[in-house]
Parts: sequence; C-alpha cells; structure tokens
Amino acid sequence: MIGFLVRRLLQAVAVLFIVTIMVFILIHRLPGGPARAELGVQATPTAIASFNQQHGFDKGLWTQYWTWLAELVRGDLGYSFKENSTVSALLVDRLPKTALLAGVSVLVAVLFAIPLGVVQALRRNTIVDYMFTAVTFVLYSTPSFWLSLILVLVFSVNLGLLPAQAPQGSIGAVLSQPSGLVLPVATIALISVALYSRYMRSSTIDNLTQDYVRTARAKGAATSRILFGHVLRNAVSPVLTLLGLSLPFILSGTLITERVFNYPGMGLLFYNAAVTQDYPVLLAVTLIVAVATVVGSVFADICYALLDPRVRYAHA
Amino acid sequence: MAAILEISDLVVDIRSGRSTVRAVDGISLTIEPGRTLGLVGESGCGKSTTGLAVLGLLPAGGKVTSGSIRIDGQDIVGLREAEARAIRGRTVGVVFQDPMTALNPTQRIGAQVAEPLLIHGMANRSSAMKQAVDLLGEVGLSRPAAQAQRFPHELSGGMRQRVMIALALICGPKLLVADEPTTALDVTTQDQILQLFDSLQQSRDMSILLITHDMGVVAGHTDEVAVMYAGRLAEHAATPRLFGGYRHRYTEALLESIPTLDTPRGQRLATIAGLPPNLGGQLAPCRFAPRCAHAAKVCFDAEPSWSEQHSHGYACHLPRRIDTDPITEIAGAPS
Ligand SMILES: Nc1ncnc2c1ncn2[C@@H]1O[C@H](COP(=O)(O)OP(=O)(O)OP(=O)(O)O)[C@@H](O)[C@H]1O
Ligand code: SF4
Ligand SMILES: [Mg+2]
Repeated sequence: MIGFLVRRLLQAVAVLFIVTIMVFILIHRLPGGPARAELGVQATPTAIASFNQQHGFDKGLWTQYWTWLAELVRGDLGYSFKENSTVSALLVDRLPKTALLAGVSVLVAVLFAIPLGVVQALRRNTIVDYMFTAVTFVLYSTPSFWLSLILVLVFSVNLGLLPAQAPQGSIGAVLSQPSGLVLPVATIALISVALYSRYMRSSTIDNLTQDYVRTARAKGAATSRILFGHVLRNAVSPVLTLLGLSLPFILSGTLITERVFNYPGMGLLFYNAAVTQDYPVLLAVTLIVAVATVVGSVFADICYALLDPRVRYAHA
Repeated sequence: MAAILEISDLVVDIRSGRSTVRAVDGISLTIEPGRTLGLVGESGCGKSTTGLAVLGLLPAGGKVTSGSIRIDGQDIVGLREAEARAIRGRTVGVVFQDPMTALNPTQRIGAQVAEPLLIHGMANRSSAMKQAVDLLGEVGLSRPAAQAQRFPHELSGGMRQRVMIALALICGPKLLVADEPTTALDVTTQDQILQLFDSLQQSRDMSILLITHDMGVVAGHTDEVAVMYAGRLAEHAATPRLFGGYRHRYTEALLESIPTLDTPRGQRLATIAGLPPNLGGQLAPCRFAPRCAHAAKVCFDAEPSWSEQHSHGYACHLPRRIDTDPITEIAGAPS
C-alpha cells in the first residue's frame, strides 16, 4: 500500500511538472508576453522593457522557467493590477469558498445518487427506473445558469424562502449564513446527480449479476444483506473514482453558478478576470484547476485501492 | 431410510425474451442419506438448471412449472422466499464451477466462510469466525487462521475451491450440490478436490448431488449415476451397474467418448457427432435420435418409455444388449 501511494504521488508530481511547463508556455504566448499581461495593454514600450529586465524576462527561456517555478513554489503567483492585490492573496481568499461550494454540492449529489442508483438497479427496466433516468437526464442536460435562475424565481422571488444572493465576505461570513448556500448547492447537485446515479446504477447491476452474489444467495442471505454486506462496497468504488475524475466538471459548474448567485469564490474571480483580461489571475486559476484535476485523479486511485484489495496488493 | 432429496416429475421452464425453453422436462431422482448421485450429460442438457432448482436459485425467468422437490421431506417448490432462504445454505450447500468468481473479491475469506452461520443465527460473530477457521483447516488450508485474513485473489484456484467447499459446509448441510466443482481446475487439483469430497462425505454423512460432464469423475466418486439428455433422464443406475451394463445408446456414446488406458496413443477419440438439440425448438420423439448411430424408424415415430429393473432404468427403443445380468457379474453392487 505504501509503495503504491509513493508511486502514485511521484506520478502526480511528474504530471504537475508538465502542467507548470504548459502554463508557463501559455504565459509566453500571451499577446505582448508577461509584461503586457501584468502591466496591461496600455503599457509603454519603455515600461515593458524595464519590467522585462526587472523580472528577468530578457534571460533565456529555461532560466526564466526556473525562476518562475521557484516563485510559484514560494506561493508567488504574480500581481493583479486589476484587483490591486497579489494573486496568491486573492486565491487564499477565494479558493476555500469554492472548495466549500463544490465539496458540499458533490457530497449532496453523491448522497442522493448512491441510493438512487441502487434503487434503479434493483428495479431496472421498470417504470420507476425509466422515470428516474428521465428526470436525472433532463437535469443533467439543463444549462446551470438556466436552472439556477429557475430556482431563484421559484424559491426566492415567488416563495420568498431563500436568498437569491450568496452571502458576501470571508468564508466565515459565508458559513454563518448557510441559507445562502442552499440554491447554489442545489443547482450544482441537481445537475451532477445524473452523472453519479448513472454510474451507481450500472455498477450495481454489474455486481448483482456476478457469481459472488449467487454465492451469497446460496448462503441464504436476504436481499438487504446481499446489498449492504456484499454489493455496495464493490459497486461504489467506480463511483468514487468518477468523483475524483469529475472534479474539473464540478469546478466549471461552480464557475457559472458563482456568477449567477454572485458567490465570491474562485469561479466569480475567474469570470471577472476573463472579462477584464486579467491574465495573472486567469493563469493562476488555470493552474489551480489543473492541480485540482491531478489531485482528483490521485484521490480516485487511493479510494479505489482502499476499497478494493486487488488493486491495493497488485500495486504494492 | 427417508431420502434426503426426492425430485418427482420436475419440469423447469426458462423464459428469456419471447421464447421459453423447457430446460428440465420431467425428471425424477432420489438421493439417500450419505450417498452421492452423479448427474451427467453434455453441455446444455439441463444439469445446472436441475441443481439450481434444488437450491431455489433458478435464473431470472426460470420457474418450476410442475413436479416437486422434497428436501429432507419438505417440498420446496412454491415456498415463500423467506422459507426458501431458511433452507438455502443451511440444509443445502452448494459449490459452483468457477472458484475464481464465486467469492466476493473485497471480503476476507474467513468472513465469507463464517457468514452462513450468522445468516442462519447459528453462532455469534466470534464463534462463527472460530468455526470458519477450523473448517478451513479441515478442508486442507494450512495455517487456516492466517489464511482466513486473506482475500480470494491471494489464493490459487484449488485453494479457493476449498474455501468454497468450507463455505458450503459450515452449517452442516444434509445435501451438497456440486455443479462441475472441478471443471475449472487442473488435473492434479481436480483429483485432490474429489478426494476431499469423498472424505468429507464420510466424516459428515451428507448426500451429494455431483453434476459433471466427466464420466471419469462419475466412475470414481459416485454411488449412483443419472444420465441426462436434452432435459430428460436417459438412464439411471447404481454406478457399478451402469458402467458394467449400461443400456441406453446415449450412455454408450458418452462412454465411448472417454479415453481409457487401452486407447492406442495417437488415436482420435470418438466424440458424439453433432450437438444436443436446441430445447426451444422441435424435438424428435427420442431426443437423441438425430445423433444416434443405432436410431431406427421407431425412434422417430414414438417416444421410448422408461423401463426399470433392479433399480436400473432407461428409456431407449433399441438398448444395448448385455449377455449376462451385471447384477450377478459385479459382486457387491449396491441394489
Ligand atoms: N439464464 C438462462 N436463460 C435462458 N436459458 C437458459 C438459462 N440458463 C440455462 N438456459 C437453457 O437451459 C438449458 C439447460 O442449461 P443448463 O445450464 O442447465 O445446462 P447444463 O447441463 O448445466 O450445461 P453445462 O454443462 O454447459 O453447464 C440450455 O438449453 C440453456 O439454453
Ligand atoms: S431410442 Fe433409438 S434413437 Fe434413441 S437412443 Fe435408443 S436407439 Fe438411439
Ligand atoms: Mg452447467
């Protein structure tokens, strides 16, 4: 297990390394290079020249990369003139809020999706199964901005039950007004529940037809015991894998949702940065999403290994 | 003695999609306490379906259409699910063909072997574990306490089949259904497993329904043989009697297709030409007729009836002739 973990982490580090190279190349492909990115389109040629000299952008590409990487490792992601703050300070403020929103949403989605998938598997190809499939797929294919607007219309405007605007300020402020989180969480969870319930359904069906289930029935086990004692654990591992792998999908979901609810997370930051062409912020968020993707896939593998001894030992 | 298993006129239909297959068509069998019945026949003739019917585990779409299956006196046909569960794993144990897939890949084998005791409320957790470890030792796992902590994929096929046997026997069933228990194993391991069956049967006084397509396995490890063809019984007799004086032409064809020590090296083995019929389609009156080397007009005109003498029954119009009555020829043959 330890060996497997170490190998998997080394792999992840290698991938991250490649990610940094790609982001670095992106910076250099920007119109006007990093100087314009940092100073803005109106910067004078003299300002750009002195900026380049000051930051070592006149040096060789590899030297520049190492300098940039060293800064990155120290947590220096550059400065946003638009936001008038270091990018890292911005991320420190925004990232936890997005993590909170994404985390709670995924948790809610999975908590609904697992029982839903199991029920659909047990009642497969019946009207119940078809109904749930239809509903979850309609939700899955609904644009998130549209769904969030509908939710706002119903629950905020018409019923007046929940705020249409997310709480502002620090993560503490967000947490102290949980009602403000309900609609954003509902939006993301409703859209992604189909993704997980579909997986849970097919993986449960797959397991129910396995020989080991027949063995369990031959022991005299009741359906509930077969389900909770045998099938669930085997069926849930692919879903957890998917969970890790779907992180980019979730993060892009939060981007739109944060915008609609004016939720002060990384998605809103990214949105504003895109509108104002605030490149340091855009690149930093790109980097974060890339890192999250890698971390998600490591998480997926570790979950799988913990749940399935065959994986655990095969890679030990 | 009252029979442990008594199957009478069993008919099983399996519906898949629009078509229905009569996988078992009027079979009667009995197994006395402590005896082994071998159920043989080619692939697709309904052996497994018969075994699964005994367990009440027919596949989806499968149903006992008529007949009865008495286990230790109780008819299990039409039992409610909860009543059937109380018998499964407790009065009847089962060993399936493929030990690679029959065990739960993510559960330790000790827990899997102990589970039937918990299901049937026959022991608490710690005593069940202890019994499981003891039984794992009895079926031939060395250092059973350590092995109980391992996962199925860490064991060889033969070891897994021993685990499967322990799992089937933990509640002390009166009947063990073994469906091709050695088919997936290599020859040496096959032999060891079959010997394990023999010794376990003696120490536990249980009955075994041994399903196989291998006449060699039947010869060495059964008291009685039932030969099945296309959902029907072709022939049924005590094992020595069957091998000494088989009458049915299908039994003959089956026996001619197994190699003996006298078979000259390099000679091609005779196999039965053609394939068993599709049970969903039209069947000849003698179901074996289209493939039978001895078939005559009568075989395509009328169904052969079952004739029985000295507990030796068969259904064939033109049975193999035997000069001496094997009952006098084979000393000590059980009647
Ligand atoms: N799940 C099923 N769905 C449809 N038909 C089935 C199913 N299981 C078995 N059958 C049919 O029932 C008949 C008997 O099958 P069964 O598995 O009992 O044969 P068998 O003698 O055990 O053969 P084998 O030696 O291949 O295991 C076959 O013709 C098969 O087509
Ligand atoms: S009844 Fe006829 S066709 Fe059938 S096995 Fe006997 S001889 Fe062959
Ligand atoms: Mg079979």
